[in-house]
Amino acid sequence: MNLPDQPLSPDPHLPRDQRLPLTVITGYLGAGKTTLVNHMLRHADGRRIMVMVNDFGDIAIDASLIQSQKGDTLTLSNGCICCSMGGDLFYALSDALDRQPRPDHLVIEASGVADPMRISEIARAEPDLRLDATIALVDAAGFEASIGDVHIGTSVARQLTASDLIVINKSDLLPSEDLLKLQDRIAALAPEARQVSSRFGQVPLELLLGQCSLQNLKDMEKPCEGHDHPHDHEELYLRWSMMADLRFDKQDLAARLDRLPAGLLRLKGFVRLKGEADWVSVQVVGQRVDLDLLAKPPGGLERSVLVAIGVRGRLDVAALDRLFT
Amino acid sequence: MQTVVYSAKKIITMAANRPEATHVAVRDGRILAVGSLEEVSGWAAPGGGDCRLDETFADKVLLPGFVEGHAHMMAGGIWQFTYVGYQDRTSPDGELWQGLEDIDAVIARLRQIDAELEPDAPLIAWGFDPIFLTASRLNRFDLDQVCDSRPIAVMHSNFHLMTVNSRALDMAQYDRNSNVMGVDRGEDGEPTGELHEMAAMFPVMRRLGVDFRSLARTEGGIRDYGKVCHRCGVTTATDLINDLPLEDVEVISSITEEESYPARLVPVLNAHTAPADEIAAQALKLRGKSTDKMRLGSIKIITDGSIQGFTARMRWPGYYKGPDHGIWNIPPEQLMTTIETLNAAGVHMHIHVNGDEASEVTIEGVARALTKNPNPDHRHVLQHCQLADAAQFRRIRNLGLCVNLFANHLYYFGDKHYELTVGPERAERIDACATALAEGVPLAIHSDAPVTPMGPLFTAWCAVNRLTASGRVLGESERISVEEALRAVTLGPAYTLHLDSEIGSIEVGKKADFAVLDDDPLSVDPATLKDIGLWGTVLGGRLQPIS
Repeated sequence: MNLPDQPLSPDPHLPRDQRLPLTVITGYLGAGKTTLVNHMLRHADGRRIMVMVNDFGDIAIDASLIQSQKGDTLTLSNGCICCSMGGDLFYALSDALDRQPRPDHLVIEASGVADPMRISEIARAEPDLRLDATIALVDAAGFEASIGDVHIGTSVARQLTASDLIVINKSDLLPSEDLLKLQDRIAALAPEARQVSSRFGQVPLELLLGQCSLQNLKDMEKPCEGHDHPHDHEELYLRWSMMADLRFDKQDLAARLDRLPAGLLRLKGFVRLKGEADWVSVQVVGQRVDLDLLAKPPGGLERSVLVAIGVRGRLDVAALDRLFT
Repeated sequence: MQTVVYSAKKIITMAANRPEATHVAVRDGRILAVGSLEEVSGWAAPGGGDCRLDETFADKVLLPGFVEGHAHMMAGGIWQFTYVGYQDRTSPDGELWQGLEDIDAVIARLRQIDAELEPDAPLIAWGFDPIFLTASRLNRFDLDQVCDSRPIAVMHSNFHLMTVNSRALDMAQYDRNSNVMGVDRGEDGEPTGELHEMAAMFPVMRRLGVDFRSLARTEGGIRDYGKVCHRCGVTTATDLINDLPLEDVEVISSITEEESYPARLVPVLNAHTAPADEIAAQALKLRGKSTDKMRLGSIKIITDGSIQGFTARMRWPGYYKGPDHGIWNIPPEQLMTTIETLNAAGVHMHIHVNGDEASEVTIEGVARALTKNPNPDHRHVLQHCQLADAAQFRRIRNLGLCVNLFANHLYYFGDKHYELTVGPERAERIDACATALAEGVPLAIHSDAPVTPMGPLFTAWCAVNRLTASGRVLGESERISVEEALRAVTLGPAYTLHLDSEIGSIEVGKKADFAVLDDDPLSVDPATLKDIGLWGTVLGGRLQPIS
């Protein structure tokens, strides 16, 4: 038997924009999940990220970052929290939701064989959670061995098909023609997911977590400034943004979001709806669109605003311009 | 030193050299002698002043106290909720809860409880089993009839489904627009109230305060578990996965040490909370905290899901009908290193394996671990091990592994296995007790309470008769004899817990732990084995009648 459990008394009805965003990180052993999670924690930039791992044994956090440890929970000096799920995802999730103050973003590092759908389904069901993204890591050199393995092949395939974004890690270890083949193979397995390559296990946080805050969006002139991005990112990714007095009909907006160009990895922002005072929050990760009608206008924002990040050389910026004018 | 000689209609000892007797002498909570009155009387001092004959059991049949090798402490605390199952059940406090044979009866019982509750309190019920109520599905409108202002949740007996009323759906914000997989919908697109699997149940459980973990951790839950054991003749029971923080160990230790606590407990450490080397250290430390009535030091690993949930890891050709959702709970590579580390540290392991791929990988892991670090008499146990075939049982025997098979599954899920999950041939050899014995594998059988009710006589009945709920005989050739089945609920599980030198049979030197039966299981019609009445138990020489 394997039973879950929950502690008590969540807030009855949170305003929708208070939902805790959840990112699920999957990938078989050796794909680089731990490195990625460490990278996130080091570059949190004031965001209080809560990371849930299976056990601390996996996640050697720099000792200099650790402020205190209490039972299953590590508190870091930058405000982030890392906790062990103790084999019980549901209990840990309840704890995260009841935590005061509530973290800004929840990241679950799933076990190497977890079915990410079983985790992301909770975020779809739980009104206090918002599924931000399911991200699969693939070890470029080890992929063939894991997908072909009689015992874990199906788990690895399931991780890919359940993902919005697939990070092909250690891609520098493969000759470029092999990398292309690998990308095609993964695309065939998971046609819905968008792929990025990573050379050093480092992916910008705005891609992993949708790093731009409302304040960032308001300061459009300097979007996402001040991050400690390794210079490398700038060569791999391209940003696009717009701020304009645009209003859309909701159906029309949804139709436009269905036609987003290839190479787009994330799109985020707030859009004003036509003929009414309503606003929607727009979250796109890969090809999954999340539209959420806001009860009131996002604080201080007067015009529609959208920012996007995509793969340099593959993101058709002109297509984005055409869609949102 | 007081010696008490108990006379009985019959004593079934489970000891090969003296399988039956009429008298047992007890001194200091231990068995002093077994045999005829004349034989055991030889232990009395001249004059017999310190020795008395007790006729309480003169028309009873004594067996070794039953040992439940796979159950959960939650089986006690679950009674804080309202029972609405199909079968009669007795609560830990001895109250008979009549089985409910249709939805109207379920509604009537819930109404009764509703009337006693505070206005805002949620009403939570458990044990509902739609397998037996085929006329129509319980839905939210049924439950709205009970009350539409308080949230109501009816947990199904398998714990993977629940049915809730409209108020509970509102609290979880489920409506026709919700895009959630486990929220069942009617033809009109509206939620029916039935919620499938944890993801869909989570928002309701969170808002209604259904907290399974606390059921197993409270003092009341621990006490109720003892009562559940007592009522079915169990004198030693496992709690087969527990995080065991030291403060909880203190509580369990002090409660079980009370003379009136009616059972010995074997809480088993969850191995999934820390790296294997830390778990090994924790288990060894816990071992040192064992007491007479609380034994610690073993660990539990869960490798896969369940067959009826289609989440067990299956070898070719996989599931019969229905999608394969087989999941590993731990990557096979990591399972192998975990087994190796724990075996090397000398830690005793209980490993949950349901599907035959899970058992195969685990057997291989144990083989490698033992090759590296020979560990004579390790007695690691494959728990459930429901689909092992003869070849796997032979490897299991060769490696010195034990199995604890889920005999109650035959009755509760057997029809589903035959028709849906694994198909006729494999269903007929599911929980293959006869094959395990034929291949020489140490065998125990279990209930996994509260998944199915604890009751060793019922568990033995399942292994003997292999009857499903619909009355089908599931694999006649895997039936075992009553003697073998009784051994699999006494000495068999005691062996899997490394406790067979202390409990599990009625032999000189062992603890005076007895199950006291109204009738002789070896002479009744095997089809009625489960119906034999129980007087109560004896624990360490202490008489514990069921009130």
